[in-house]
Amino acid sequence: MELQDRIEELTAAGIGIAAISYDSEKILAAFAERRGITFPLLSDDDSAVIKDYGILNTVVAEGLGPNANDPEVVADVHRYVAAAVFDSPQLRRRINGTPFPGTFMLDGNGQVTSRFFEEFYRERASTATVMLKSGIGISPIEAIQGTTAQLKFTAYPSDTIVTNGKRFSLVVEVEPGPNMHLYAPGAEAMGYRVVGFNMAASEFVDYEAVEFPESEIYHFEPLDEFVPAYQAPFTLLQEAVINASAEIEEQLEDIDVITLSGSLDYQACDDAICYLPVSVPVSFTLEFQQLDYERSN
Amino acid sequence: MTTLPARLRITTFFFLLLFSISGLTTAQIRTAIDLHSLGPQVGERVPGFRLPDQNGRIQTLESIMGPNGAMLLFHRSADW
Repeated sequence: MELQDRIEELTAAGIGIAAISYDSEKILAAFAERRGITFPLLSDDDSAVIKDYGILNTVVAEGLGPNANDPEVVADVHRYVAAAVFDSPQLRRRINGTPFPGTFMLDGNGQVTSRFFEEFYRERASTATVMLKSGIGISPIEAIQGTTAQLKFTAYPSDTIVTNGKRFSLVVEVEPGPNMHLYAPGAEAMGYRVVGFNMAASEFVDYEAVEFPESEIYHFEPLDEFVPAYQAPFTLLQEAVINASAEIEEQLEDIDVITLSGSLDYQACDDAICYLPVSVPVSFTLEFQQLDYERSN
Repeated sequence: MTTLPARLRITTFFFLLLFSISGLTTAQIRTAIDLHSLGPQVGERVPGFRLPDQNGRIQTLESIMGPNGAMLLFHRSADW
């Protein structure tokens, strides 16, 4: 369980961890032993807490009830419940009482600072990507470090081990050089190349939104232009997800490694001139692990 | 603003009731699940709890909390 791999970093950041499910203590004990889990797995065996939190998955019951043919119900069943689960009477019973899976980040007073819930049942944000998006840093593994005439950067994937449906991030930490300004979102309207990853299409990976930090408005005096730009060090997150469809799952059965290639593109100016757009080749190698379907006895 | 005569108001009310009941049986008033609106929102306090962990120890929101906060994960099952 990749959350276990992140325990040291979370503990170092002073963040407590707990996972809640409707499993019995016995099942949780077996799971914890099998996977070497050291953080609390809490047994909410009548789903009271799940209901109290308002996140009980009601979709299966609806999909079997009088409104089963309502197109909106059908759409929700496809989005939130696995076909294999819905079609199996046995598994369907098991999903009764489960929550919509997700993560709450809390402050010391128990107030929610961020929350992560997946629209598609097969996808799950990795712990690392949750941490990155919550502003908790992670220790980069297998980072690419580079220096160009305009900047220094460190690029790494949030996760070096992925599985089907895993949502992760490609991270780049950028330090613009002295007097350098990198074009930020909005600058494309003026014909400039905005900083970001430009990744080659992959059959196994879907690239999603890019999270940009806030930029400043820079006044480029030689052309008297006001342009969104980054001057201080910043970090970009390119979100990606391992395709979770059934067809790709079949293809992934023979795969151990996924390589993502592309470039880090940007355009920069100093106080006097604007440089041509730059494209730095980058490549990330991720280990692919098959989903663990092991059950306790 | 003029008010409707009592009889018309009562009739209107019954018609509205009739339409809303028939709406329920034909399943037209269901709204799709909006996952982002379910459960405690950013800025809200989460409900407390008191649950045993895998070692039989009772844990609460306070006991699992770290000095800088906590990550609380809800998952379907450890078993499937």
